[in-house]
Formats: sequence, structure tokens, C-alpha cells
Amino acid sequence: MKAPISWLNEYVEIDVTAETLAKKLVGIGFEVEGIEYQNKTATKVVVCKINEIDKHPNADRLSVCKIDIGSKILQIVTNAKMTVGELVPVALDGAVLVTGQKINAGELRGVHSDGMFCGGEELGLTNDEYVGASNNDVLRLNGEYKLGANVFDEIGFNDVILDVSITANRPDCNSIFKLAKEVAVALKKNWNAPSFEYSTKGSSVYDLVKVEVKNQSLCPRYMAAGVKNIRIAQSPLIIKKRLRAVGIRPINNIVDITNYILIELGQPMHAFDKRELAGEAIVVRNAKENETIVSLDGKLNNLKEDMLVICDAVKPVAIAGIMGGENSGIKEDTKEVIFESARFARDSIRRTSKALNLRSDSSARFEKGVDFALQEYALNRALHLICELDAGDVVEGVIDVSVEFEKFREIFFTMKKISQILGFTVRKQSLVPILRRLGIEVKDNGKELVAIIPGDREDMCGVNDIAEEFIRVYGFGHIPPTLFAHSEMTKGGRGAKIEFIDKVENTLASLGLSQIVNYSFTTPKCYDLLKFPQDSKVREAISLLNPLGEAVSIMRTTMVHSMIETISFNISKFNKTGKLFEVGKVYLPEKLPLEDLPKEEETLCLGIYGDEDFFSLKSIIESLFNVLRIDIKLEKEQICYLHDGRSAKIFANGVEVGIMGELHPDVMENYDVSQRLYVAELSLEKLFSLEKTEILCAPISRYPAVQRDLAVVLDSNIVAGDLIDLISNSKIKCLSKCQVFDVFESEAIGEGKKSVALSFEFVSYDKTMTDEEINEAMKKILSLLQRKFKAKIR
Amino acid sequence: MKQAIDKIQSEAEIAINASSNTRELTEVRVRFLGKNGEITAIMKNLGSVPKEEKPAMGKMLNEVRVAIEQMLESKEKTLAEAEKKARLLAEDIDVTLPSPKSEHLGTVHPLTIVKNEIIDIFLGFGFNVAEGPEIETDMFNFQLLNVPKDHPARDMQDTFYVNDNIVLRTHTSPMQARIMTSQQPPIRVVVPGKVYRSDDDASHSPIFHQVEGLAVGKDITLGDLQGVLTAFAEKLFAEDVKTRFRPSYFPFTEPSVEMDVSCTICHGKGCRVCKGTGWLEVLGAGVVNPVVLDMCGIDSKVYSGFAFGIGVERIAMLKYGVPNIKMFYENDLRFLKQFK
Repeated sequence: MKAPISWLNEYVEIDVTAETLAKKLVGIGFEVEGIEYQNKTATKVVVCKINEIDKHPNADRLSVCKIDIGSKILQIVTNAKMTVGELVPVALDGAVLVTGQKINAGELRGVHSDGMFCGGEELGLTNDEYVGASNNDVLRLNGEYKLGANVFDEIGFNDVILDVSITANRPDCNSIFKLAKEVAVALKKNWNAPSFEYSTKGSSVYDLVKVEVKNQSLCPRYMAAGVKNIRIAQSPLIIKKRLRAVGIRPINNIVDITNYILIELGQPMHAFDKRELAGEAIVVRNAKENETIVSLDGKLNNLKEDMLVICDAVKPVAIAGIMGGENSGIKEDTKEVIFESARFARDSIRRTSKALNLRSDSSARFEKGVDFALQEYALNRALHLICELDAGDVVEGVIDVSVEFEKFREIFFTMKKISQILGFTVRKQSLVPILRRLGIEVKDNGKELVAIIPGDREDMCGVNDIAEEFIRVYGFGHIPPTLFAHSEMTKGGRGAKIEFIDKVENTLASLGLSQIVNYSFTTPKCYDLLKFPQDSKVREAISLLNPLGEAVSIMRTTMVHSMIETISFNISKFNKTGKLFEVGKVYLPEKLPLEDLPKEEETLCLGIYGDEDFFSLKSIIESLFNVLRIDIKLEKEQICYLHDGRSAKIFANGVEVGIMGELHPDVMENYDVSQRLYVAELSLEKLFSLEKTEILCAPISRYPAVQRDLAVVLDSNIVAGDLIDLISNSKIKCLSKCQVFDVFESEAIGEGKKSVALSFEFVSYDKTMTDEEINEAMKKILSLLQRKFKAKIR
Repeated sequence: MKQAIDKIQSEAEIAINASSNTRELTEVRVRFLGKNGEITAIMKNLGSVPKEEKPAMGKMLNEVRVAIEQMLESKEKTLAEAEKKARLLAEDIDVTLPSPKSEHLGTVHPLTIVKNEIIDIFLGFGFNVAEGPEIETDMFNFQLLNVPKDHPARDMQDTFYVNDNIVLRTHTSPMQARIMTSQQPPIRVVVPGKVYRSDDDASHSPIFHQVEGLAVGKDITLGDLQGVLTAFAEKLFAEDVKTRFRPSYFPFTEPSVEMDVSCTICHGKGCRVCKGTGWLEVLGAGVVNPVVLDMCGIDSKVYSGFAFGIGVERIAMLKYGVPNIKMFYENDLRFLKQFK
């Protein structure tokens, strides 16, 4: 809300600087987002009087003026036609104009000049701030001004405008007059209400128009008044200046009055040209299906039955509270005006304005909520201004179609309760005066205290509101800080799942990976980029109704896409190598369109590139599983976006938990990445359920371990993991470790064959093992391999 | 014989002194004390010495042997010492050369670091940690938090919709309602998580992180709120940080406050970061609105509480001097690697 200090000053005396006022307002809950100085850019422009005019000796078009700036006489060379005795603004040596132009004293065709006379444009003024300022000429000042004084101060273009952020609970303060009331509280000053007096000149509003409200729940109050003999004219300067200061373009006295009241009182009004109201009727009703109206901005609006419209006897003439119809407005020859001042249900305005995509100052204001007292204030104030501006003759009577409403509300409370909420003993003597300054009277009914809440404070409904109103003025600094002074102790703790995630993150960081965080939404194109088949379940993603763009329009069902994009980004930034991980969620709908909340699966995505291979990624995953005390097994599997020969499913304790592999060359092309990269995606939910957190100390053998190696030749298609599984599952006595340490193929071994070298470790816990025992075990291993895989010893 | 023994001793002494390394010294040892050494040879000749001289000769021979051994030992020590010195000299390295493994350290994301720091502080006050869904019902995200449909307070948060009843949560506060509808006091919980607002410009990211806090119990006051959050700020920023509470508005708290801390850069003098005010806005909080307690099934006549919401990005930007919120989501390794 833009609040010119001069306007506030009309209702409360402001004797502090704008900065101090801003601080005070912040202190009571009104954040000031900006302070705008109407004239801050132009400097050293003062009022002067033309004393003498001489011809320039060297130039026909120039003249030389002697000017009086109060303290001394200076000389200005100008090409403007000046008259002796005129008062004009002059920019002196060192001045800066609104246009950014700097003025220096100097010689013009050989004659000294101390500066330059200014026109409106150079000072940032138009006719709305000063009559004549829009002329393309030096600005002539009419009236009495102090010579040598700052021209902006003299003509009153020196306002300071506060940009105050009004919270949603205080719609009443979206008005100069209620904000002034808060200023009065902050500065401990008196607050003066504006004048609502007006006089009438015969006839009756009931002769001008009939008002019927058909839907009182959407329009709880509708007031109307009439003005005859309208005299359309420009508004006085003070009104125009104020409207301009808050960003509204002045139009004519009648339109300006409604806008002025919108800002001053916060009540949107509408002025109907009575000629446009067919049947001299105003009917407030729901729109009919297929009814349309062209609004003031020229837009054709298709109305729906839940929308409220203002109609005459025949057709809609305005969309209630949002915008008037094309022809309903005030024209140069308007003779009779009906002022509307109504309360419309804020949620209805909000829905209609959204549905029609039609917004106005009026709808914005109604959406926040106007209180019941405001319609009458606004109407009276409008009629007051009509009289003051002599813009027409107010007719007798005011139409008021209204539901019953409460003029004030009572809140019962005790000082004990207030103290309990705030955490310190609050005394009645400090509470009551503060509430009174806020317009809230407090009575004592012997049992409890009763706060009488005025009708404009619709936000206040309970004792907590009383506590808040008190403390925001009294000051939060008065509250002694405590650490749960009166309440129970609690144990607290992270919980197993969060500890698990922390462990995963810390382990991966210690393994050299850097954590990344990507957006949860992504592009639907990612599935094509990753070559997912059309019928893939992964493509079933939740779409947003109002995304910021297609690239961020669905909730991701895989994290691989954003991992590849992150790697591609890093490659483009010349980060030659990288090991990355992301812990995040994928969002898996039960079915689409979404009915219930989807499953949000906590997921781990790994990505490495540059000087890495499949096994460096595998080793990271193995180390992680090791820390989590989970057994890992890989099984080769083709995955649409991975290299056919270098991709695998990951099993943890026999449960499938994810996939890993090298990116498919097609996908590399799709993402325009030139380096091989390796990715894995694992379900953290599953890993969490498999993690073993307890540590049980195992015995350590007192006897030395014995190592043996064995190399066998077998068919190339047999995978090493199967050999290990076979041996590990065969309960060979005292076998503690079994690993593959070398695999190769060669001509000597033969086509379709490979050599696999295995190492074994035997440990006994009760004696030193003999050679015979170990030989026996090795024989058993060899015969297993021979039988199952037709292996031959090499 | 005596001359022979003396000769051996002097010869041994010369040989030992002449040894320049331990290998030569071992040769000397073998020459004099070995199985076929000179002392052993003379020992064998002891039989030919007259009987009365035998003890004296024997004694003398033994003394010489001991003397040689001592000489050998001391020489060996000297030589070994010298050789070790030589080896150390030879093994001299340039300690300023880079270590090949230093670049291999990984990092957790700065937002994770800050989130954990925040959580750790509240664990100290007895808080639990909980997490909740990011795709949330309108009911939990708004209505149970005292924001009915078409309420102007909805303008405070630009919402992403999935459909009329399902939204991307705009704050972590729906977990307040989820917790209060499923647990009875005493409640002390912090809720970290991602939140979403359809707002994307230089200073906003459509996704950001919050840590929500909620304490509900008997006799929890605004004083407790200010005490706990001030202690939090002291632990997070610096023990001497000042806090200030200003009135604000959230539909689900009453009274509502914003907490400012004295600027961590200029310590309150006024600078570019705090826009000259000396204060930085760090979080919003308030006394849980009794209307919300009652809607969630907790008797507001018996219980009270406070709630707060902390923007993780905001804190991380202040703590680490990160100039732009977007940097957290670019994932440039040159940025990430700084957070070791």
C-alpha cells in the first residue's frame, strides 16, 4: 500500500522523519518495504524572479536576464521568451535535473550565464502536479513563492511515499485513514477522522433508481446515492497530486472521487451514468448461463452462474466489485450519477476475478475484505467531496440494502490468560490504555474483562488476538526469554530413518562424492531422452496444473535425468572429473489422475564421470553397502538408458534395490555429452529396511589364516559371481574368504574359454590347520567347479 | 704369546677404526672373533703355554676379546648412526609437492550441512525430528492451518496445484497439523523438508528448504518462544548475536512474530547485506493459534504452544556469504567442493 506522508498527515500529526516513522510502523507490525521521495533526483533548482531582460549582444534569439534569488542577483542567458516580474524555476551552477542533465555556469556566445531556467519536464512535473507544467516551455510559477527557496518545497512536490506491506489479517489498513490510525498509535498522537458532512438539494434517490439485491450472501450490503446536475471538470490539484503519488491517473472530478475514496477509505466505489441504467433499476444477481458482458477494458467476458453481476432492468452493467461494463462509465456529458458503495463476499470476488482473469484495484481490494461500516463512510465521503468540489447536486436519501451485521464484537478474557500466553505478568493498567488507543474499550463485568471490538476489526475473535494487539504496541522486548519454564521435558532424537539418511550422505561424502540437490520437477521429455518404452510405468508422472514451464511441469519418477543434466552442466564448466550423489524423492502415483497422495520414495542417485569406469561405481556402492552391513550382488540386466553390456540390477540381501551401469551411447547423444558416464539409482526405502545397525563383535582366531590360489579354465560366458556363489554356498570347512583376482582370455587358452584365478583364505578358530586339511578343501572346491562349470585346472 | 695377543689387539683396533661401513665392520668381526678368527686360533694355541702362565694368558686373551667386542660395538653404533643419517638425507623429499589424494574428498551439500546444524541445536532442547509428504492435501497445507479456500491469506504463498485438492506443499507447516492430529502433547518436533512456491526470479527459487518447528504442551508461552529461538540464534550464529521480535501475521499463529538477528556481517552497524538496518530477518514464528489446536483435536483450554519456520537457504546464504539462491541448485562442483 502506497501511503504519501502528506496524506497521512491530514489525519494524524507526523512530526518525525520518514525513516523514523517507517521504523515505528515496523515495530507495530507494518513492514515498510520502501520509502520513495517524490523529488530526490533534481537538486539546486530554486525560485527566481526576472528583474531585467536585455538582448544578447551576439545572438538574436537569445536574451540575457538579471534574476533575483533573494540573496543575490544572477545572470541567465536564455532562448525563452521571458517577461519582467515573472517567477520561474532556475537551475543554478552544479544543479542536476530529473533528466540527469547537469547544469554548470559558463559562457553562452560570449556572455556569462549562471544556470538555466527549467520547464516542467526537466523537473519531473506534469499539469497534474502544477498547472502549466506540461507546456513545452519554462514553467511560470503563479502565486507567492520565496525567492531562492527550493522550487519543489515551494510548489509542494516534496512528498515522501511509504510503501507499506499490509498483512492479510488487517485489510482495514489498506486505506490512508486506518493506516493513519495505526500511525497515531505508533507515535502516540491523536487521530482525526475525515469529514463526512454533505448537503442535499431536493428530489430523492428513490426517484432516480430502484435497487434490488437478489443474492445477499454474495452481496451483504448495497448502498446507493444519487447526484444530479453533474458538472464534469478537472479535480483540484491536491486530489490530482495525491492520486498521482499513489500511481493513479487523474481523469475527471467524478472518477477521481471514487479513486480517491478507494485509497483514502479502502472502499471501492462505482459511479454509474444514470442514462445507461435501463429501466432506472439496479439489480444485483447471479449471472445467467451464457450471459456475457464487455468490460471497461474492452474484453468480452463469458459469465457463469456462480458469478455476481450488477444489472439494470435488462442486462449486466458491471461485474460486481471487479469492473464496470463498457458503457456504464462517466462521460463528458454525464448529467446524473448513481454512486454504488457495496460489500461483496471476498471469496466470490476472488473466484470470479480468477476465473475471468480480470483484475482491478477494486477486485484486489474486495478480495482482501471490506468491513460493514465502510460502505456508509465511503458514500458519505463521496457526497461530501461532490459538495466540496461543487461537482453536482446531491439528491435526498440514501439506499441501503443490507443484512443485519454486528457493529461491535465482545471478547471475554482475563489478565491471567493474557499473562499465560505472553509468559510474563501483564497488568491491567498497561493493557487497557493500549487497547483504548487501538479503539478497543475494555469493561470489567466483575468475573472477567470484556473487550469491545469495533466492527472494522473482523480479524479479532479470541483472547490471543487481545494478547497480540497489546504486545505489538507494548513491545516484544519486554518479554523475559525462557526455555520451557513451566512445561514438561521431552526426550527428543533424530529417529532411525533420518539417521540412516545421514549415514548414507556422510559415507558417500567420505568416499569422495559430492552431494547435489536438483529440482523435484522436471520435463516430460526426459523419458524420451532416456529411451523409456512408451508403456513404461516410469512415464506415469504427476503433472502440475500451473507449472512455471514445460521443463518443470511433472514430478520426477526417476532422478537419473537430472543427474545426467548436472554432469553435462559440470562438463560444460570444465570440471573434468566428478563424482556426484543426490538423495531425494521420486513421486510415484498409485494411479492417474491423482486421487490419493502418491508414494514419495526416498531415492539415491549416483553419477560419476572422467577417469572412472563401471567398477569404480561398483566399488562406491559396495563400500556403502558395507557400511550399512548389507550384502550386495549384481545381476546383468538390460536397462533402456544404459550400455547393453555394462548394466546391472543391484540386489541387497537378495532384494532388488536398484540399477547401475554405463550410459548408453544413444542417451549420451540425446544429452549431448561426449564423455562416458556411470549412473546408479537405488531405493533408499528398501535399503533402510535392510540396514543392520547393531554391531555384534565376532571372535578373532588365535591361529594363522592360510591363503591358497587356484586358476581354472572354463567357458567365457560363465560369470565370476556364479563361481563365488557356488563355493560360498557349499559350506567348505573353515573357508573364510573367496575372491576372484584375475580373469583373462588368450589364444593359448582357446576360443570361447577364459582363465579365472581365485584366492581363498582358510581360518580355524580352534587349531592351526594342517596342509592335508587345506588340500582336502581345495580338492573339494575344484571338483565343485568341475562338476558345475566343467572347469579345468590350469 | 703375549706379543701375539697384543698384536691382535692393536691390529683389531686399526682394522675397526679403518672400517667405513657396517659391512666392513662385520668382516673385521669375523676376522678376529669368528669361528676361524684370530682370537679363536690363539685360544687353540693356549694348550702350548706353560701351565703356570695359562691362567694369566687366558685372562689376558679374554680381556682382549672383550675389548675388541666393545670396540666393535661402539664402532657399529657410530657407523649405523651415520648410515641412518645418510639414508634419511638420501630420502629427502619436497614436502610442497601435491598429494595425489587430497582432491578426492567428497562433500555434503551446504543445505544439508545447515539443515543438520539447525536440527542438532533443537535436539539439544529435546525436539524430535519428523518428515512429511511434499505432495500434500489442501486440507493439511491450508485448511487445518486456518486458511480456508479463497481466503486472502492464500495470496501469501503462490501455490503449485496438482488438482483442486492436492498441492505441492508451500511450507513445512502442514506437518504441524499432521503431527497434532496424530499425537497428544507434549510435542516438540522439527520438520526439515523441501517446499514449493510458483515464484521464480533473481531472489526466489520455486523449490527451497524449510525447517518447521512445533512445541505444544501445558503452559508454553511467547516467552518460551523468544527464549528458545534466541538460544537457537546464539548457537547458530554467535553467542553474542542479538535478536529482535517484530509483530507479523501467519494464519496459524497468534500472536505472530518475525525474528531478526543483529547483522552477522556488520554486527548491527548497518551494511549492504542488512540494507543498512543492522538487522537480518531470519524466521517467522508465533504462538499456535488456539483455533488450529482445536481443529487438530488438541484442547486449547489445556494446551498451548509455539511454532516457527526457518528458511534453510536464507541461513546458508548468510552463514556462507552465498550471493544467489540459484547457486544451491546449479550443482557446480567448484561451488560444492567448498563445503568441506
